[in-house]
Amino acid sequence: MTLRQTTVLAVAALVALAGTVASLTLGAVSVPFADVWSALTGNMDDGPLKTIVLQLRLPRTIDALAVGAALGVAGALLQGALSNPLASPDVIGVTGGSAFGAILVIVAFPNVISLVPLSALLFGLVAAATVFGLAWTGAGGGSIARLILSGIAITALFSAGTMALMTAFPDRVNSAIFFLAGGLTSEGWDSTKAVAPYLIVGLVLAAILIRPLDRLALGDDVAASLGARPRLIRLGVGIAAALLAASSAALAGLLAFVGLVVPHIARMAGGRSGHTFVVPASALIGAGLVVVGDTLSRVILAPREIPVGPLMVVLGVPLFIWLLRKAV
Amino acid sequence: MATVPTPEPAPTATVDAPLLDAQGVQVTIGGTRILEHADLRVEAGRLVAVVGPNGAGKSTLARAVAGLQGISGGSVRWSGDAVSDLRGRELARRRAFVPQRGQVPAGVTVREAVQLGRAPHIGALRRATRHDQDVVEESIVRAGVSAFADRFLTTLSGGEVQRVQIAVALAQQAPVLMADEPTAHLDLGATATLARLLRGLTQDGIAVILVVHDLALAAAVADTVVVVAAGRTVATGAPADILDRELLADVWRVDAALQTSADGHTALHVDWLHELAAEPGAGER
Repeated sequence: MTLRQTTVLAVAALVALAGTVASLTLGAVSVPFADVWSALTGNMDDGPLKTIVLQLRLPRTIDALAVGAALGVAGALLQGALSNPLASPDVIGVTGGSAFGAILVIVAFPNVISLVPLSALLFGLVAAATVFGLAWTGAGGGSIARLILSGIAITALFSAGTMALMTAFPDRVNSAIFFLAGGLTSEGWDSTKAVAPYLIVGLVLAAILIRPLDRLALGDDVAASLGARPRLIRLGVGIAAALLAASSAALAGLLAFVGLVVPHIARMAGGRSGHTFVVPASALIGAGLVVVGDTLSRVILAPREIPVGPLMVVLGVPLFIWLLRKAV
Repeated sequence: MATVPTPEPAPTATVDAPLLDAQGVQVTIGGTRILEHADLRVEAGRLVAVVGPNGAGKSTLARAVAGLQGISGGSVRWSGDAVSDLRGRELARRRAFVPQRGQVPAGVTVREAVQLGRAPHIGALRRATRHDQDVVEESIVRAGVSAFADRFLTTLSGGEVQRVQIAVALAQQAPVLMADEPTAHLDLGATATLARLLRGLTQDGIAVILVVHDLALAAAVADTVVVVAAGRTVATGAPADILDRELLADVWRVDAALQTSADGHTALHVDWLHELAAEPGAGER
């Protein structure tokens, strides 16, 4: 790892850390860092401040870090495995499936609204499984083109379903907008706990896939002649990315932009595209971007919240364009 | 000249079995018979050129014996072991394969690419050792890519990229190196550089299988040429013995003669505009 790459990792880690501190202290009510610390270390008496820190802000901060890291890693894995800079969790159908799952509960079954994260997770995984089923069976199974085209088709199908739901229940569309725009909520630990196992399996799988992914760099033929199995690696990447992206959608709605842009930021800032660097860097940069974005979304118009999705696009695009112009 | 990455002996090699022995290889893809009956053998320190018209099945034969393409008939044995019994990494220690169209990714340096060649020798949970690094450096020097070892692949010329691909293959330390049309898009100078490199490897004891359509080049570098036509190996032998007028007329449908002189020059004399009378079944035997 070069000095430049180490620096990128260190700066990204610092931003994520600073964002975490800001997220825990700032908001509609400011909590001094000393109080946050004593709450975290269990030295604070019960009271509203303790509840704010431990039951509202801590789970939300953890969600933000996890969602950012998960989307960054999912994007990095997919862009590497598909040799395609445009790849993001959208291409394997997860985003479309999760949106359908969430909107289904929000507009059709609002009395069980707490099932939104689970439904988003479930439908995201169902959509991805359908895409893999279509892409891996029959002649030419497992090729990049088959995967991307299957993803587009299934995404279109689920988007049509989402539109149909919103048309059928026009008076409830308002509550669906927040999910589609992407945003975190302060609703305690329930969804975090429900989603954590999927997220952790996805991250472990991603870590295992880092080295095999590098072997795809020179093309499937070279990878195969070196004893790797390109299609199996790609299937593993698809499963990991589906778990990570569906978990993210369950926690924070649609933030697809993060998965697309963060790996590019990592590559352009680090100057290399080896996955031993790009995957961890994408995790740190994604975590930092979402936790900073979420904090700003609570602070800018406090006590009102603006959805973090659009805000993050506003934050991310200038950074992206600056790097794009620098990277030649 | 740099020290040579010595091929490691194949783990379960049967004594005296040829490095590669492929007999009656048949390949069917999507119901279409691409390869009907092909034989290919190679021994240490020899260069075998696989020649033939476009679409005759040269690349398919190479991919089939390399284990990258399933076979529907015949047998392929590497040092006596059937290709289907060899797992990916075991196979990767018996043969290296340089594909026709390698991918040139952004953000990857020459050295990083060559390091990939060590993959078959590094276990899933192990890191590259000092020995692995040494082999990578030796392969970089041997393939003549040390002058640009720290540059990105995307900044290299076509000839330089091909030599990097050879360096990746050398890092595998396999006793057989296969290359599918490595000179296809190269200019004269780059082709000659690559030819000298591949011929030089045979002096280091490596067996080289070269799929190539340039007959003058094949005649100059190969100990043995194998002619593939319409899915069959139709002739095998020393270039000067088998690439005669009749075979060229039969297989390529041209009026041409190969000239080889003792000083190593080869030339293909072609009557470009002379159309041979069609012989039913010619080139399809």
